[in-house]
Amino acid sequence: MLIIEDLHVTVGGKKILNGLTLEVRAGEVHAIMGPNGSGKSTLVHVLAGRPGYEVTRGRVTFDGRDLLALAPEERAREGVFLGFQYPVEIPGVNNVYLLKAAVNAARKHRGLPEVDAFEFLDLVRSKMKLMQMDESFLSRGVNEGFSGGEKKRNEILQMLVLEPRLALLDETDSGLDIDALKIVANGVNSLRSPERAFVLVTHYQRLLDYVVPDRVHVLVRGRIARSGDRTLALELEKRGYEWVAGEAA
Amino acid sequence: MTAPLTARIAEEFRAAASRLPAGVVPPQRREELLAVLTREGLPTSRDENWKYANLRALERMRFAPVAPRTEPSLLAADLPAPIQGYARYTFVDGVFAPALSCPLESSSGVTLSVASRSREASERLAAASALPAPADARFAALNEAFALDVARIRARTGAQCPACMELLFVSTGDAESGAAYPRLELDVEPDARLGLIERHVSLGAESSFSAPAVDIVLGRNAAVDHYRVQEMGPKALWIDTLTAGIAHGAAYRLYMVSLGAASARSTIQVRLTGELAEVGLHAVCVADRHQVHDTFALVEHAAPRAKTEQTFRGIAGGRARAAFNGKVIVREGAHGTDSRQSLRGLLAGPEAEIDVRPQLEIYTDDVRCSHGATAGKLDDDMLFYLLSRGLERDTAQRLLKWAFLEDVVAKIAVPELRRQIERSLAGQMNETTALKELL
Ligand SMILES: Nc1ncnc2c1ncn2[C@@H]1O[C@H](COP(=O)(O)OP(=O)(O)OP(=O)(O)O)[C@@H](O)[C@H]1O
Ligand SMILES: [Mg+2]
Repeated sequence: MLIIEDLHVTVGGKKILNGLTLEVRAGEVHAIMGPNGSGKSTLVHVLAGRPGYEVTRGRVTFDGRDLLALAPEERAREGVFLGFQYPVEIPGVNNVYLLKAAVNAARKHRGLPEVDAFEFLDLVRSKMKLMQMDESFLSRGVNEGFSGGEKKRNEILQMLVLEPRLALLDETDSGLDIDALKIVANGVNSLRSPERAFVLVTHYQRLLDYVVPDRVHVLVRGRIARSGDRTLALELEKRGYEWVAGEAA
Repeated sequence: MTAPLTARIAEEFRAAASRLPAGVVPPQRREELLAVLTREGLPTSRDENWKYANLRALERMRFAPVAPRTEPSLLAADLPAPIQGYARYTFVDGVFAPALSCPLESSSGVTLSVASRSREASERLAAASALPAPADARFAALNEAFALDVARIRARTGAQCPACMELLFVSTGDAESGAAYPRLELDVEPDARLGLIERHVSLGAESSFSAPAVDIVLGRNAAVDHYRVQEMGPKALWIDTLTAGIAHGAAYRLYMVSLGAASARSTIQVRLTGELAEVGLHAVCVADRHQVHDTFALVEHAAPRAKTEQTFRGIAGGRARAAFNGKVIVREGAHGTDSRQSLRGLLAGPEAEIDVRPQLEIYTDDVRCSHGATAGKLDDDMLFYLLSRGLERDTAQRLLKWAFLEDVVAKIAVPELRRQIERSLAGQMNETTALKELL
């Protein structure tokens, strides 16, 4: 589904990704771990199409298509979803407006008519229930005044409503209390299916107890220094990144 | 440059003098105002607070008022839809048009008289509306010198809560046939409440000049919600002066929406004369193409524990310019003053210009004054967030523009008026339908 080959990316003249290669197949969950500043957010931002990154080498295909050639909104409509590490607050843009506009944009792309207002509300309500979010969040500005954990839940809510084929979740587990972590994990698990894939960027093994990954990768200085199955995450927890970084160097 | 202009004004005044009604403004008063104008001259772009308004356009304008039409050719259907619950008074080229009006019931506690100044009211106005010290009344003087008519509103004590009326000023003239001088004198007696909509529209796309003047006095504990909408035609020159004096415990809330005209300038001067008086000035403007929207808003705190809230949200696209200069002066003895200013401009075109300037002059201790001013483009992070959810770039940008205006638009508490304004905003932002209605 997603094939990244020898990806090199610079930001503001600084080289961040350094020949990264990764393949994610439909139905898989990949976890990406790695020290602060190693390029994890850069990777998912580049995949989602955030401006400001220069791809100097390599290619990325999504279902065989050149992903990097698409505008960010086109990637979203093709089914790529980015759950932000730091979701931005957008006062004055209503949460439910955004959800509806996003759903309709995707439907239009697929040649479907606009979503029925009542069906849409029912859908959103049921997903909110799953995320244990109060309905009052719907009428608030996007992330406006949300606590850190509420913002993360809101990201997952959007993911549940949009049902992407490839979800890139950047530290969605950071800043969550234990209950919230389970709620978020439930949300992710409820979407797992043979047609969908997930890339979870995380610092903690804990999330991976609830969302069991097929593969775990360690990103060090812009490239994958080591990959393994879920036991790699456990080992990292014990031995730290020094171990991998040392080996890679 | 001004000398020949004032000479021409004087000349046009002589020629028009015989048709300027004495019942509206006595001839002697008109002469005095003309003398003041001749002495002081009209502002030029070299004047401190007049850098942005397009004053050179005045050179092409006639100052004598448009001759009133004998046969009003307008129909009610040509006018903006009325707002339910608001009695309408229409003025065409500055002259009251009873056929296009739908007055208040007499029991409402509000009297509106056209051009018959009650003696008592005029004294109250004279006493209470003493302008703030650095006042700029030159265009107000021009207005009063040439006014053909005046809407004098007196809201009486115990007025039902609240009396609601709409003043609609329609401009039909073009620059050749003369100027329009919409004029409103509002006297709100103690404890009275009033909801006032004031709209300025032009029919036809001809270039035209209007110089409205509004003079407001709020008595003790009175409250006024004043909605002003400027939707003049694309070639209009509109130079407006609003002066208000707010007594003890009274609350004046002004909501201004500026959309039309080639060049629109508002000079707002509010004086808080009594303790605990409050003023809210909330303005939005959307300027596009070559439009200039310029507002100078001065609030003077002359009494203790009074409160000011100023909000400005302006969008400039194309090669337009939006300027807002919000000045607060806290006089000696005005302790406990609470003043907040939030002025923000959004650049929506590579050649557009925004100028927001908060200014504070404080002559006493013990005040709480805060101000924030920003001017910039749409936030890249917000835009990317919306794009990453699949929204069209165009939709995302529009949504963010709406969000930007929302701080002020959401304050418009008359739903029908707000909907009309949202529709006009949409038109001004080149949208076929208000985005908010779609969503
Ligand atoms: N605009 C920029 N200019 C220069 N350097 C940048 C810019 N943006 C990011 N970087 C740098 O790129 C590196 C990688 O950042 P990135 O956010 O991808 O790290 P990360 O692995 O997600 O870290 P964390 O675990 O802390 O979230 C960092 O050293 C960061 O400072
Ligand atoms: Mg990161």
